[in-house]
Amino acid sequence: MTLTAPAPSAPAAPMEPPGDAPQGWAPSPRGWAVRYAVLVAFFLAVVVLPTSRGLGSEDFAGRFADAAIFAVIALSVNVILGYTGQLSLGHQGFVGAGAFAAAYGATVLGLPFAFTFVLAAVVGAVFALGIGAVALRITGLYLALITLVFGLTLERSLFEVPALTNGGAGQPADRPDWLLSNDNFYWFCLAALAVVLYVDWRLTRSKAGRALLALRENERVAEAFGVNVTSYKLLAFVLSGAIAGLGGALFAYREQSVVGVSFSFELALTFVLMTVVGGLNSRVGVVAGGSLFALLDYLLEKFHLTDLVEPLLGESAQFSGRFLGAFLLLITLIFNPGGIAQQLKPITRWFAGQRFSLHGDHESGPAAVEGSHVRA
Amino acid sequence: MNVALDVQADLLTPVITGTVQGSIYGLLGLGLVLLYKSNRIFNFAQGEFGTVAAFVVAALLTGRGIFPQVPYVLAIPIALAVGVLLGLIVERLVVRPLFSQPKVTLVVATAGVALLLVSLELFVIGVNGEQVRPIVAGDLLNTGGLRVTYQQLIVVLVLVVLAVLAALFFSRTRTGTAIIAVSQEPTATSLVGISVNRVSAITWGMAGGLGAIAGILLAPTTIIAPGFMTAATLIPAFTAAVLGGISSLPGAFVGGVVIGVIEQFGARIPTEVVPGGNSVVVFAVLLLVLLVRPAGLLGKEV
Repeated sequence: MTLTAPAPSAPAAPMEPPGDAPQGWAPSPRGWAVRYAVLVAFFLAVVVLPTSRGLGSEDFAGRFADAAIFAVIALSVNVILGYTGQLSLGHQGFVGAGAFAAAYGATVLGLPFAFTFVLAAVVGAVFALGIGAVALRITGLYLALITLVFGLTLERSLFEVPALTNGGAGQPADRPDWLLSNDNFYWFCLAALAVVLYVDWRLTRSKAGRALLALRENERVAEAFGVNVTSYKLLAFVLSGAIAGLGGALFAYREQSVVGVSFSFELALTFVLMTVVGGLNSRVGVVAGGSLFALLDYLLEKFHLTDLVEPLLGESAQFSGRFLGAFLLLITLIFNPGGIAQQLKPITRWFAGQRFSLHGDHESGPAAVEGSHVRA
Repeated sequence: MNVALDVQADLLTPVITGTVQGSIYGLLGLGLVLLYKSNRIFNFAQGEFGTVAAFVVAALLTGRGIFPQVPYVLAIPIALAVGVLLGLIVERLVVRPLFSQPKVTLVVATAGVALLLVSLELFVIGVNGEQVRPIVAGDLLNTGGLRVTYQQLIVVLVLVVLAVLAALFFSRTRTGTAIIAVSQEPTATSLVGISVNRVSAITWGMAGGLGAIAGILLAPTTIIAPGFMTAATLIPAFTAAVLGGISSLPGAFVGGVVIGVIEQFGARIPTEVVPGGNSVVVFAVLLLVLLVRPAGLLGKEV
């Protein structure tokens, strides 16, 4: 039964945020104050700096809106890949369905702005429910295959239906007046990301979250302890689909026009890549991974790294981001299974009220051992 | 729309074209089945083994870059060797370090290898496609609507031979048995004196070779561009392998041909009714097989 309950490649420790400080040491009130001050400063920087009111520009704010959208999608992938240990290679299908639902709702049905998001989330959830219902009847890696073909079928078939896509021109998704500037849209995406983070945090802290963790580690044992494997897996699928649909709606309003070709298989691979590189099961890592991949091409260009390889590769230098993404994935899997989250560990631990230490894993107690692959 | 049934156009053409196209799926599917049998994983890099080999053939035939210009007789073994080498490199650098990891990790890694190879191809070749001349030029059959080239005939024949050879390899040779043994019980297998690492290397070398053969044979029938095998043939090949029974080598052949023919009929659905008919049909078949008969047509167990 090696196929039934594949655990993800990353330590599961961040499922429980590293809150338990080693006994006998706690930050002083001043220590806590510093931590909170740094945290607030960091959030202010994230909120203000990329916009034209900070150091950025309208264009820059748009790129960061992409990063927030990718972060939302990465969280959605993490629910399936991280929490249940199943591989979905058709996530672009859920995202695309959400995007088209939002655009269709806004333009054709004339729904109010807020309701298009509800519609997108519901459509994403319904598709995920369908796929999940099939996936539960089969074991292991076949889900990867089904989602793969599902995503491709949506891309080539449903996303080509003229009534939905408005022909080749794309289905328009106009932003309301108050969102027209990219600054405002970036803040809107950040707010959406905050909501999704909150939902995800509640999930992992709830009975359902613990059940998912249990069934990922060993489905049979979980079942023996009375965990209803079927319903919790379906729940994870539906939640992941709803978040992906929401991400799709944001995507639609970012592009302001939705075309089917945006949702290619390569996008699905990017979604998996960014989540794994970010660090499965870690909210911080996954958000960092999503942002990194959304900004990768832009950053390479901005810091003239593309120009650096241009003499060697000529026009093909534009594909450096792609190469780097795949390379990062393999490096992550082989040498650094915790992903970016693992690298950020000293910082996240410090925020959680421990001493700043680069090698503190042995101090954090049972949580660090819990997720390792000792069981071979 | 024409209601009357035209036997040649509506029946014969899709069946023959589908068989030829399906043989390519079967050929790629053989490599997928091989790796499923031995490692219990889906290898998403299988198509890229073929793409790289196809580009090596193209470069050798025209004598481009560092490659000398050689005839087909030499180009094929060289490309085949490159494919095997690629399989061995992937095994050594990616598969072996992840051997004890969960299977999902390994599957994600193969997808990463596929992406890496595609971007390397883009670096070296660029986005423009090119054409490769066929091994044997000319048509076996050409009746206007229906055309079968010698190249396509070669594809079908090679597939049949390889499927039989591979099945015999697993049932009759010591190495084949060792591969199955490792897949079922690696620890016990190494205890009886079989090197798990060697078996793993042999398997991936074979998979690389099979992928290369698929690429070499497919190249002249289409336009080759970076990632063309993954984009066009990998997914039907997976479906074919599952349909035939993911651990059955002759199943990959049967599944490939069936998928190829079904796809041809699906492609005849008018775009106004259902766009992308062939993809929809492949998806429907995959769902149906997994729900009704997960062991596939010729498979024994899941």
